[in-house]
Amino acid sequence: MITFLQLVINGLALGAAYALVALGFVFIVNATGAVNFAHGDLVMAGGYAAVGLGSLAQIPAVYFLPLVAVIMFVLGVALALLAYFPLINRPPSTVFISTLLCGIILQNAFVVLFGPQAHAAPPLLKSGVAHFGEIEISVQAIGTMVVAAILIASQYLLFTRTQIGRRLRATAEDRQMAQAVGIPAFALIAATFGLGTALAGIAGALLANQFFVYPTGGIPLSVYAYIAVVIGGWGSIAGAVIGAMIISLFQVVVSAYVSYAAATGLLYVTLLLIFVVRPQGIFGERVQRRA
Amino acid sequence: MKNSALSTSWRDGRQWRYGSAVMLGLSLVALSSGLARSADAYLPIVMPITGFLSVEGGSQRNGAVMALEHAPGGKTIDYPVFDTGTSATGAATALDKALSNGKPIAAAVSVFGTEMVAMMPVAAEYKVPLLTISGLAKITESDNPYIFRFLPNDREIKVAHARYVVEKLKKTKIALISDTTAYGQGGFALLKEDFTKLGVKPVYEDSSIAPDTKDMSPLLAKVKASGADAIVVHSVAAPMALIVKQAKAAGITLPIINSSSIVEPTATALFEPAELKDVCAETPSAPETRATPKIKEWADAYKTRFGLEPDGLALGQYDGVMMALTLIAKGAKTPEDLRAALQKETYEGVAMTYKSNGKGDLSHDAEIVCWDGTSRIPKVVEHYAGPDMVLK
Repeated sequence: MITFLQLVINGLALGAAYALVALGFVFIVNATGAVNFAHGDLVMAGGYAAVGLGSLAQIPAVYFLPLVAVIMFVLGVALALLAYFPLINRPPSTVFISTLLCGIILQNAFVVLFGPQAHAAPPLLKSGVAHFGEIEISVQAIGTMVVAAILIASQYLLFTRTQIGRRLRATAEDRQMAQAVGIPAFALIAATFGLGTALAGIAGALLANQFFVYPTGGIPLSVYAYIAVVIGGWGSIAGAVIGAMIISLFQVVVSAYVSYAAATGLLYVTLLLIFVVRPQGIFGERVQRRA
Repeated sequence: MKNSALSTSWRDGRQWRYGSAVMLGLSLVALSSGLARSADAYLPIVMPITGFLSVEGGSQRNGAVMALEHAPGGKTIDYPVFDTGTSATGAATALDKALSNGKPIAAAVSVFGTEMVAMMPVAAEYKVPLLTISGLAKITESDNPYIFRFLPNDREIKVAHARYVVEKLKKTKIALISDTTAYGQGGFALLKEDFTKLGVKPVYEDSSIAPDTKDMSPLLAKVKASGADAIVVHSVAAPMALIVKQAKAAGITLPIINSSSIVEPTATALFEPAELKDVCAETPSAPETRATPKIKEWADAYKTRFGLEPDGLALGQYDGVMMALTLIAKGAKTPEDLRAALQKETYEGVAMTYKSNGKGDLSHDAEIVCWDGTSRIPKVVEHYAGPDMVLK
């Protein structure tokens, strides 16, 4: 039982980081309807930013995490200017391809700037393990869960309780109509890319301590983010979080009882079942159209 | 008419510019051909410079370049670098391009077994020796006379790996783990075979670790539950580093005996020295230990040249290329001369003595290194050579 609880907690800790990745992804989906397949590479960019800042400052990551978010915000706006706005009136698949290409450019930039090898970023606060009876949780995992909880709550409040959040949702639903009623849609879309990328960057900085950062490490994260959003319901914040948790629990808890390969297979079988039983995802609305 | 004149003038200008560009291009081609011709030999480097094996490919490229920069006998060598990526088709295409680009006497080629299998027919077609450090056993077991390997093959080095665990550490309850790459799967099968020959049946086996697996806690929970007294890992660097790091974080004190990927300085840089306590690995050589004056001199020169600590891959490739260059300096003028000389000559390299077994395997030494928890530089604890690396 203790082992099971330990694995569940480890799964939730990993899921918290995946949830941040998925949230950044869904943030951009919500505001633009665009699938950003450079998202995993932006997670790695955040990890590399933490590696760089950590080696310069030699301090725990909590002190420079806001700076990572700012750097990533700027990168996200740049991505919007480069890969989204020039193609805004083209079919969605064009943006899909353009973000995919930006991801490849980022991967090669990582190789040039940091080399092909893996790097580890400094811990959020410190290394080590906290004991709760027989359960052990790394300080980094606790920090990751706390940061993720704060950011998830903030994002929920932003979308549901603020004027800017309502404007973002209006822009996502119908950009032309939003512009017609005076909403600065283009500025909001750019800001959304920035915020979504900042979330990805923070996830990268948190993951890069325990799980390292390397040039091609973002590829599976893009896939996980996409799957999380599909499982949870296209565009649903709560769904993205639940979807991310389901993925991590399969990876950590289910794989403790069957092999990794079997756990991965079971995850995809579950995904297929969700497609059949509830194609709109757990929290999705039936009227929404999947990209 | 005026327009026509203007148009003609513009066309003339354009033609002049095109003509100039063509002339410039031809001049550059002639100049580069001239440079190529002015070298005494053409020995291209065809390796994975980008992709998931770029760390390993970078090391072997550095080793080859270091040898080519110091060719004996005052010879000058033309050695363009061709990137194979990490695909079989990329490797075969890159080698074909490299070999058709001049008159090669040999080529220094990929560490990646999958790529080697694809490049072997190209070497046979051009009749050019390939100098490699790929461990995949079958590349020297398929009667291709142009393959020369300067690291022990996996079949031999896994014997050293298994013997150290069973005979020196006296461990009999083994947890045997590998990743899902071809390298991981091949090593897993060989280790399982060797443990069986040594009378040990692993108490836990898992060869399903995907290279992008992040959380190893389920794996480690299963290892703990199995009652294992040692963890044996054969994997590429990233999952192996995560297994070791997370085992230490979880307070698992079992010895972990790894394949050589963890010996690379870029991998050990991911750890605090204390995290490497009771961690060991097999490796063809460990130049970073600077165990002999000859290796120390080479390792220091490597670090000066590339700003990096060397590893066994770099040294193996250096010795291989340097052996070929020495034979060229002694009179090998054609690929066939070189192939015959590589097959019969003995060469005293920096890491070891190289002598072909008749199949193109020239390296038959392996070392086991361990970390004591105070430094990222390991210590050599056991040396295996020749018959030590064969199990009946």
